Amino acid sequence: MNALIVTAVLGVMMMFSSIVLKRNSAIRMLAIVGLLFTFIANVLDSSGVHFFSINIKGMMHFDQFAYFFISISIFCTFIFFLLSAKEMERIGVNYSEYFALIFFILCGIILVASFTSLLILFLGIEIISIPLYILTGSDKKNLKSNEASLKYFLLGAFSTGIMLMGIALFYGSTGSFSVENSVVIAATTSPMLLIGILLLLFSMSFKVSAAPFHFWAPDVYDGAPTVFTSFMATIVKAAAFIAFIRLFSLAFTPLQDRWQLIVAVIIALTLFVGNITAVFQQSVKRMLAYSSIAQSGFMLMALLAFNTFSVEGILLYIVAYSISTMGIFSVLVKMKDSSLEEFNGFAKHQPVLAVALTVFLLSLAGIPLTAGFLSKFYMLKAVMHSGNFLWLIIFAVLMAAVSVYYYFRIIQVMFFKESDSNTIIVSTSFKWLLSALAIIIIVLGVYPQLLLQFLV
Amino acid sequence: MIALLLVLLPLITGVATFFLRKENAAKKLALLSSLATMVISILGLTLFNKTELLQFSADWLPGLGTKFDIRLDGMGQLLCLLTAISFPLIFISTWQRTYKNAHNFFALMLLAQAGLMGVFLAMDALVFYFFWELALIPVYFLCSMWGGEKRIAATFKFFIYTFAGSVLMLVALIYLQTQTVDHSFSINSFYQLEIKNDIQNWLFVLMFIAFAIKMPLFPFHTWQPDLYEQSPTSTTMVLSGIMVKMGLFGVIRWLLPTLPSASFAYGETTVAVLAVIGMLYASLLAMRQNDMKRLIAYSSIAHIGLMVIAIFAETQLAMQGVMIQLFSHGINIIGLWIIVEWIERKYGTTKFSELGGLAQKAPVMSILFVVIALANISLPLTNGFVGEFLMFSGIFTSKIFTYQIVITAAAGVCIILSAVYMLRMVQKIIYGNTSAITANATDIGFNEKFALSIIALLILAVGLFPQPILDLTQTTATQILNEANILHLLKK
Amino acid sequence: MIHLLQIDISKAVNEVENAGSYLPIAIQLLLVVGLIGLMLLASHKLGPKRNTSDKLEGFACGIESHGDARKPMAIKYFLVAVLFVLFDVEVIFFYPYALSFKQLGWDGFWAVMMFVGFFLCGFIYIIKKGALQWED
Repeated sequence: MNALIVTAVLGVMMMFSSIVLKRNSAIRMLAIVGLLFTFIANVLDSSGVHFFSINIKGMMHFDQFAYFFISISIFCTFIFFLLSAKEMERIGVNYSEYFALIFFILCGIILVASFTSLLILFLGIEIISIPLYILTGSDKKNLKSNEASLKYFLLGAFSTGIMLMGIALFYGSTGSFSVENSVVIAATTSPMLLIGILLLLFSMSFKVSAAPFHFWAPDVYDGAPTVFTSFMATIVKAAAFIAFIRLFSLAFTPLQDRWQLIVAVIIALTLFVGNITAVFQQSVKRMLAYSSIAQSGFMLMALLAFNTFSVEGILLYIVAYSISTMGIFSVLVKMKDSSLEEFNGFAKHQPVLAVALTVFLLSLAGIPLTAGFLSKFYMLKAVMHSGNFLWLIIFAVLMAAVSVYYYFRIIQVMFFKESDSNTIIVSTSFKWLLSALAIIIIVLGVYPQLLLQFLV
Repeated sequence: MIALLLVLLPLITGVATFFLRKENAAKKLALLSSLATMVISILGLTLFNKTELLQFSADWLPGLGTKFDIRLDGMGQLLCLLTAISFPLIFISTWQRTYKNAHNFFALMLLAQAGLMGVFLAMDALVFYFFWELALIPVYFLCSMWGGEKRIAATFKFFIYTFAGSVLMLVALIYLQTQTVDHSFSINSFYQLEIKNDIQNWLFVLMFIAFAIKMPLFPFHTWQPDLYEQSPTSTTMVLSGIMVKMGLFGVIRWLLPTLPSASFAYGETTVAVLAVIGMLYASLLAMRQNDMKRLIAYSSIAHIGLMVIAIFAETQLAMQGVMIQLFSHGINIIGLWIIVEWIERKYGTTKFSELGGLAQKAPVMSILFVVIALANISLPLTNGFVGEFLMFSGIFTSKIFTYQIVITAAAGVCIILSAVYMLRMVQKIIYGNTSAITANATDIGFNEKFALSIIALLILAVGLFPQPILDLTQTTATQILNEANILHLLKK
Repeated sequence: MIHLLQIDISKAVNEVENAGSYLPIAIQLLLVVGLIGLMLLASHKLGPKRNTSDKLEGFACGIESHGDARKPMAIKYFLVAVLFVLFDVEVIFFYPYALSFKQLGWDGFWAVMMFVGFFLCGFIYIIKKGALQWED
């Protein structure tokens, strides 16, 4: 609860900061300090120090998992600020508003991480989505950005409508908004309830860009300013996953056998579409967009099988995926454009960055010794443990092998191609930060308990 | 302790080498580290030959049921020794060659060594998988950075191939783990598994593809000749001398004892047939090659084929023969590559048509070359003979093969063919008239002489006095056959 | 406030379960459709038909229309319109509050004060940002 209110207030504060503070660096400082404060507030909250006592009437429930995920997303946003906050200046004049919107998104993330009522879920999803529509279109002079924003808005509104319909049907058949197994058990299994669950499944699949509801993702990720793409494709996506998994694990497990196969098919499709299409991309940004779809496929496996492995795995996955993707994007932002040729001979100009990027790419590809491998491993293990869907596991690992192809293409051009000189300028602190992130990826890949011990 | 050092020493020095900017310093550190590793490995074989010293175990990912468990058993000793001996030889023989960004080159070589050591030591399936991939990554970078013209495509093919195979293996390993009683990845739990036959069959397919790609077995071999040709020779030595042994090693340690009935079911019907086809095919191709590198690559495929058949014959003789041959073949082929490397460095070509008459110009090289070539044909008194003889008699007396005579005969033909192509190569290169390129040839330098003499010594030592190696591998072979052999299992 | 939405409607649902209770609605529906159809048909049949070009043009309060409706115009108009809707909607929330002013007591009062406070923040923000500045 602490973090929820703190982020909301901080969002408003950031809105006004441009009136009070004249220098961009001051605004940035305020945002970073505010985020640190939010982090501390959340950690205090999880250890029993509550700043506010509000009766939420059982519509939200903060368990250890929720606290932990909130901490992770705040931490990742913190890294995002450190890596790319400076780049936001180049997008437009409303510097402080971007921060305000990001804080509001965080607010929504906290809601979807802790809801126990469908209303809060809906509220959270909307609070996340609406600022995102604005951020997507924030590059006002760019036609692609405008197009992406409109596309995202229309399709997002459409999926929200489907979700509302699902909620309505759920309510109609159970007479309650609360997300509990007992509610579903008590209701007779009517077609109405099943259709409601199905609609919720589809709309949430849309939010996490799972095939065949993924069509918006490449265009939006490609059109949005790169800085915000990196935020959208990582932290926001992770939150959507948590909401998805929370919803289905809390409420719909009694009907698991009805929807599990559908989820399995969605996973297989997502993996297939994401990986195969990514192979053919020439722009790194678009490739990363498809790769994020492909990674969704793996993350959805946590939905397919609920057990300790999937709970630990999804958190590890989120951290590994977010850090790696943000790292790659933070370098991509500094490039002139996002074509693959830009990376030619990168290792020669920026050896440190090239090595860090290599670690990130290896992690995304799921090579051992990186956090990416262990998180994929956890997912496979979770599904294997649940006993069914062996075909899916084999298919998934084959698709992981396909993914090596496009991730390694970047490594190849970085190390083995000559360049025609154009090189990016980065500060020493940026290099240190990126190296630190690479080290985090490797350390988590060898010893994930460092992260997962907090879950107990 | 010994086991841990074998992994840690190359790992740490490898990482340290990245930060050495001077080429000479990096070279020296790499050589020093590899020599130290060799000393440790030999010490582990002789002085500190106690079980508690040869193993190391630490908690790692307890939630996943895995432990960092490494141990040196007989087969591990032999292969670690091979790895430990090879690297100093490789470094010494290629001492003259200079590399761009040499520190990275040597660092990656040492990391590859650490990975290989780990594969041979791992007693936990997940640790095994970790090292299996860890050995691959440095080799990928080595080949694509310092290789020949078409290096990127060739290396990429190799990488995708092996990665696809190994993730399939991962699926099988995870499945096996969920079936174990104590949900652990440890090798003992795997050995105790009793899995239904039909499930064993497809698990076998998943795992065997990974190993078959690595060996490489026909028809998964297409990456190999390209890669051997394109990668820098010192990396090719690692690849062909040690890395392809990972596949065979994996079959012996992880596949055969874990999935005995599937190994029995597929052993003769599929694997042996593929291996025989591969052997004949590779031998015939080797006869037609005009390039030393490609010839050696194909000869390697042919030799590997025989070893695969011998593994699935599941007799004590064959099993020990394979283990010895794993060692001997590694040594021999590294010897051959050292000569290839020297010829390439000196004359800029490895084509037979452009070489010839080296016997007059480089007598020392020629003698050593002939010795190694004969060992590769497995002439008596050389190390190759010991392994191949054991394998042949093992296959011939195999109780679980139905057509052992046919298989033995086919394998025999391949040995004859191997004599044909090896001798053809020797003849083309060191006899005949000197060509324009070799007209002013000189003999090999001290480094090559030293490395090649050690190899020749090893060839003769193992060939004349194989008893220590036989003793070393006996227990491991018996143990694996006890777990694996379907006849033993039926008796129980 | 949101708690109100969690009321139990299952009872009401039970009462209208049988299809017979929908009969009045069905009759109503038939009547409505019939009446409209009848009226349209009647005017179509009975009315005189004189097609002139004037009649096909858009009708704008009798003023002669000119130009294209899709003409770019200053964003300020939109901005004001959007802001108007925003604050207008705010007022709507006061009606239910006025009705239950007494019952909600001080808690309700502070909740509404918070609501107004947020809106005030927004208002100050747009003023400060110059959204209502008509002349640049």
